[in-house]
Amino acid sequence: MEGAEQWKIQLEQWKKQLEPWKTQLEQWLNQVIEHIHQIPPTQLYAAVAVLLFTTLLLLFIRVLKRAKSNTIVLTGLSGSGKTVLYYQLRDGSSHQGTVTSMEPNEDTFVLHSETAKEGKVKPVHLVDVPGHSRLRPKLDEFLPQAAGIVFVVDALEFLPNCRAASEYLYDILTKASVVNKKIPVLLLCNKTDKVTAHTKEFIRKQMEKEIDKLRTSRSAISAADISSDFTLGVPDEAFSFSQCHNKVTVAEASGLTGETSQVEQFIREHVKP
Amino acid sequence: MLEQLLIFTRGGLILWTCKELGNALRGSPIDTLIRSCLLEERSGAASYNYDAPGAAYTLKWTFHNELGLVFVAVYQRILHLLYVDDLLLMLKREFSEIYDPKRTNYGDFDETFRQLRKEAEARAEDLKKSKQVAGKPLNNSRKQGQVQNGGFEGVGKKKSEGNLANGDDGDNRKGHKLENGHSNGYHVDSEKSKVNGAANGIGDASSDAGAFDVNKLQKLRAKAGKKTETVVSKGSKAESKAESKKKITKKNRVWDDSPPQAKLDFTDHVGENGDNIEVVTADHGESMMDKEEIFSSESEAEEDEEDVGKDNKPETKKKGWFSSMFQSIAGKANLERSDLEPALKALKDRLMTKNVAEEIAEKLCESVAASLEGKKLASFTRVSSTVQAAMEEALVRILTPRRSIDILRDVHAAKEQRKPYVVVFVGVNGVGKSTNLAKVAYWLQQHKVSVMMAACDTFRSGAVEQLRTHARRLQIPIFEKGYEKDPAVVAKEAIQEATRNGSDVVLVDTAGRMQDNEPLMRALSKLIYINNPDLVLFVGEALVGNDAVDQLSKFNQKLADLSNSPNPTLIDGILLTKFDTIDDKVGAALSMVYISGAPVMFVGCGQSYTDLKKLNVKSIVKTLLK
Repeated sequence: MEGAEQWKIQLEQWKKQLEPWKTQLEQWLNQVIEHIHQIPPTQLYAAVAVLLFTTLLLLFIRVLKRAKSNTIVLTGLSGSGKTVLYYQLRDGSSHQGTVTSMEPNEDTFVLHSETAKEGKVKPVHLVDVPGHSRLRPKLDEFLPQAAGIVFVVDALEFLPNCRAASEYLYDILTKASVVNKKIPVLLLCNKTDKVTAHTKEFIRKQMEKEIDKLRTSRSAISAADISSDFTLGVPDEAFSFSQCHNKVTVAEASGLTGETSQVEQFIREHVKP
Repeated sequence: MLEQLLIFTRGGLILWTCKELGNALRGSPIDTLIRSCLLEERSGAASYNYDAPGAAYTLKWTFHNELGLVFVAVYQRILHLLYVDDLLLMLKREFSEIYDPKRTNYGDFDETFRQLRKEAEARAEDLKKSKQVAGKPLNNSRKQGQVQNGGFEGVGKKKSEGNLANGDDGDNRKGHKLENGHSNGYHVDSEKSKVNGAANGIGDASSDAGAFDVNKLQKLRAKAGKKTETVVSKGSKAESKAESKKKITKKNRVWDDSPPQAKLDFTDHVGENGDNIEVVTADHGESMMDKEEIFSSESEAEEDEEDVGKDNKPETKKKGWFSSMFQSIAGKANLERSDLEPALKALKDRLMTKNVAEEIAEKLCESVAASLEGKKLASFTRVSSTVQAAMEEALVRILTPRRSIDILRDVHAAKEQRKPYVVVFVGVNGVGKSTNLAKVAYWLQQHKVSVMMAACDTFRSGAVEQLRTHARRLQIPIFEKGYEKDPAVVAKEAIQEATRNGSDVVLVDTAGRMQDNEPLMRALSKLIYINNPDLVLFVGEALVGNDAVDQLSKFNQKLADLSNSPNPTLIDGILLTKFDTIDDKVGAALSMVYISGAPVMFVGCGQSYTDLKKLNVKSIVKTLLK
């Protein structure tokens, strides 16, 4: 009870202290109102309108930017040809070849095939993330802003790498940032210029099978360590990419010969020119 | 001859390659280098050896961190090309001048390269000749000494000359001194020792001479390679440092052996002089030479670090708080090795308090330094935080497993082939192999995998009974053949049995053995060779510090050496036990993963069957850098 009494006394004191301030404020307010009355109303309206317009514009731009990112992420196992594709899309040539990447390549540019086009074309922000397993954590930096993911698979040396590729794709497809934003994924079979390369249908089926097996084993691992909170597909049913939360399409390309029209199509679907 | 020379960006685009060489390489040495050396935080090493069928290459590389460029040279291992380091450095300097991030074709660099290569080869020729005539390098280095001591008076010059010669023939000189007694003035003495030095270069077969030879080469290279004044002084600084180090050790030996003499005071003086030189030249920062020195031997590296500490003190004192604040706002131009050194040392100490093996902490710091040197420091950051961030990235990279650690997936794959999945547990005594085998069995059982245990510890009394007790409690079948049997045969029979009754997984328990125990290691190698298991798990305790490196590397070595097959099964994964007992000293995990390259698959963290976890990389890294 005593405490409450004390509080009351303190409050009274504060009120007393605040009173001169109150009068001061009132005086200022009156002054401002007088000042406003002196200004012609048209000017006043104009000022308010300008203020409103700029805030709205800023908000609008912000929302627009967030909704329409222009980032496309190239990912896949090491040696599947991501860096060559990156340079094909950027410069239209693979230069003098590539070696294993140690750092991501990223750049914002107009696709090489569209440089000749008339009019303004929206540039694409393309990121080539290294495929080496030690560098996988780098992918997480780019996924939140991605408008599309291109998962590159080596169609020539597919079978030995099938499991590793499927595991990587599984990890990507169950990442919270990918599932929540429904980022579309393109499964790109690279190196199709070679005669012995597998077809995209074969690769799709094999990877679906492999992911189906992964589903059972991954869900068994204790939840303590695995960050993915999402399961893929429908339980008790063979997995297919159509069951995914995000759209998964399959395409073919050849980085060495520069046959990249299907990738470009995918990019343009998700980053409007 | 050089086989290949490449310049590429860290992003992986080849910018320039020598077309003249144009030899087709066997295998893909460059990709292998990047994957198994540069990305594994081993880029502090001097060279990398690559073996392909029909070819053995040595690769050398250098980074340009500010521009993000990598320069790699490939040559046949049998040719000891001495000019490669030199050539790479020159190449780096020339290329960084014309480099433009927008440009991708550097066809016109060919001409420059031809020039550089000729220069380098000519210098290598000189070096070879001078190596044959032993007196010559000595002369050269003496000259260098004179350049160094230009400011000193004549006597000082002579002193340092004498010392140069001293460096190589410690014992010999000692003998001389004793002979000469006190009567000799030091002018005479220094003359004598000079002569000695020259003679020593030819005749003396002591290890000291060898060490000195290496030094000579470095000096020569420094002198020849860099014509600009500053670099020469850097080189001579490293040299003078090396000398002073040697002097100190030698001096000590004399003190121990013989009663103190007046002459010894003289060496002392020169020692001080040497220190002076160091302080004077400290402002030039660390030279690249030190990098190699650190690797030459551990003890030397330690001394070197102490030296560096000394060097940095006056420097840091000079800098006021104002200039340092200004630097932190404006961002420093380029990070030099001397800027990184204090932060790296602190980081290394911190890693070592967390039980990381010293050798590994050292190598990691080297690699981080190599990746930061020459980079621009961003504004509003300190060197220490930059180094810490780089180290964190490196640690995450190391601990992130390279291969899949999803054992259940592998088990299912083996099941499809109607083969049991065989796991062999190996390790030294008393680390908890059997206990953790039981834990793994329990975990597999939880996931509806039928498990069988094989008691192949036919060596220690009570081992079979212990496993039998676990098997009874977990209701798991056990395969045992008593003691005094060949474990390899027991394991083989166990696998056959498992195939017959359709078990999915066979967990093979082996006897604990010390890594140096040759007969037992041979037996283990035989067991693994005969049964060809799908997974060899090394069980190691988290309590271990420096010994972890020895254990793992020796186990791997023995498995490789003692096996009959051309590509033997090595350790595939690590099971870290007693993780609950170590608090924040989690360094063993890092040491083991770094040295073997195998991932930590399980972590044992308690006494009950449920206490088996996966390694949480993020929390380990956080704990290590805390």
